[in-house]
Amino acid sequence: MFDVVSFLISWLTLFGIYAILALCLNMETGYTGMANFGLVAFFGIGAFMTGYLSISSFLSYFGYNYPIYSLDAVIAMGRVSDKNPILNIGVFFLSLTFSFLVSGSVGYLVSYPTLRVGPAFLGITILSFGEMTRVFMRHFQPTGGAYGLLGVPNPFAWVQQPTLKGLLFLLLTFAILAAAFVYFEVLSNSPYGRVLRSIREDEVSSLCIGKSVPAVKAKLLFVASGMSGVAGSLLAFYLGSVSPDMFGTAVTFEVWSMVILGGRGNHVGALLGALVFSLLGRASSAFNFLFPGLAIDPNYVRWMLMGAVIVIILMYRPKGILVEKPVRTEAWRVFEGEEGRMVFHRKIGGVIKKALWWLMGREVR
Amino acid sequence: MGPILEVQGVSKSFGGVEALKDVTLKVEEGSVTGLIGPNGSGKTTLFNVIAGFYQPDSGRVLFEGRRIDGLNPDEVYNMGLARTFQNPRPFSSMTTLENLMLSPRGQIGESLAKAPLRRLWSGEEFKIAKNIKDFMSRVGIADLYKMRVSDLSGGHIKMVETSKGILGGARLILLDEPAAGLQYAVGRGVFEYINSLRKSLNLTFFVIEHRIDLLFDFADYIYVLHMGRLLSEGKPKEVASDPEVIRAYIGG
Repeated sequence: MFDVVSFLISWLTLFGIYAILALCLNMETGYTGMANFGLVAFFGIGAFMTGYLSISSFLSYFGYNYPIYSLDAVIAMGRVSDKNPILNIGVFFLSLTFSFLVSGSVGYLVSYPTLRVGPAFLGITILSFGEMTRVFMRHFQPTGGAYGLLGVPNPFAWVQQPTLKGLLFLLLTFAILAAAFVYFEVLSNSPYGRVLRSIREDEVSSLCIGKSVPAVKAKLLFVASGMSGVAGSLLAFYLGSVSPDMFGTAVTFEVWSMVILGGRGNHVGALLGALVFSLLGRASSAFNFLFPGLAIDPNYVRWMLMGAVIVIILMYRPKGILVEKPVRTEAWRVFEGEEGRMVFHRKIGGVIKKALWWLMGREVR
Repeated sequence: MGPILEVQGVSKSFGGVEALKDVTLKVEEGSVTGLIGPNGSGKTTLFNVIAGFYQPDSGRVLFEGRRIDGLNPDEVYNMGLARTFQNPRPFSSMTTLENLMLSPRGQIGESLAKAPLRRLWSGEEFKIAKNIKDFMSRVGIADLYKMRVSDLSGGHIKMVETSKGILGGARLILLDEPAAGLQYAVGRGVFEYINSLRKSLNLTFFVIEHRIDLLFDFADYIYVLHMGRLLSEGKPKEVASDPEVIRAYIGG
């Protein structure tokens, strides 16, 4: 029987994870014009970091001495993962933090040599780095080589009811997504966001008005790669397993298509793109389940649809569904006067809305 | 007033081509100094050396008595020396206001760590915007603030480009062909704008221009480059009657 609730939960959780990736890519590509073709590397590093850290900390806490990739370890994890809720939650946040720091630092180091040259060099460097990482992880024994790691403890493993467990994880994912969204939205609506966009428009010109372009890019890459690592961490906790072949180049381009569909330089657009493409992914699996024995596997139709969507979007709406808006800071108030703003506030009875806008760092209009 | 910019014996070659050979010149503070020469004579290379895009092979560049050769372009700008490009390079899909808001130096809100905390930078932002509004209405482009720069006319784009350096607090501005591609009257407008700014804000301009008729009306002093060497220098009238300059231009 097809279970609508669990379908929704799994779709929305994957949406949350991909949306974080899309937001990161939107910061790098949509705002700064850096062609990050190796997003998946940082996603994967975050996931493996999480797998390694969570399983080894569980095993050592409960006094087992197996290598983390062994079958014994998987069985032991099955036995102990719901014993201590505080440990589960603690390990979750610890892994998230470490994934952020490690992925961020790797992103910074990989891209640093290429920041002074054009965007194509950065793109190719990171693309090959992503592929290198995948091949390396396939043959790196301490994290299980090609089989990867099994038994990553879900932070809510101690909840007995599976639907409730999924729902709690979904809420946690959405909380992190919301934090990422607000953070990036505030960043891109500040003078900092203006600098990012100036780099996208013309790097040399930006350098000529005193912006130290390589440093700005390197710092942004740290933050965005780190957040991609957090997304990878969430994926590892959600699936309960990590394996190198989950992080092929296709993932990068799926995220790229989300950003292209939604609109470069618009965070809401990135969310929209993630929603559409994650639905496409989940729906094709559901189709496969509901109608077995189709002439063609829907999982592959999905990739064709993805290509078709990109072609249609680039032909008829090359800037994406939601178009970029100018940065709104205090500067607009100087030019447009206070009156409109006050009326607007009274109209919506604004305390809550005003607080929300304040939080998002936007000028209310 | 003393020289604000000194170029001392600068040479620069690319492969076997010597673009600049032992060029020495001075730009007096508060002047409009012109730099002319036939195509390929090294004018833009000289600007690139001054603005930090190229390292000179030998020689020194002094700005307000301090060496600036070897610095990066952003560091040179932050010392108070701005430049424009022969083909304007504005941030086309951003608004005029955003373009101008970018130029003030050392804004608090431009650091990654401080940008999320609005309270830290909103006051400064407000002040900068007020300044820019004043400036824009003085120059007569205040109602263009909302327009994307790609929608502006050529003359307005040149004004925006020049304004960037001024709003960044630059004391010396290098202009690379401010009147190129503009109709005579509009080109003259750009030069009048430069002249009025010089007087009201006490700025110095160092200008490359092929429209010699325009430049000679506004410049105080002219340098002539030919094949990477300084061919002649002097007041516009002296340069115009120098037989060597005439030969270089007409090709004798």
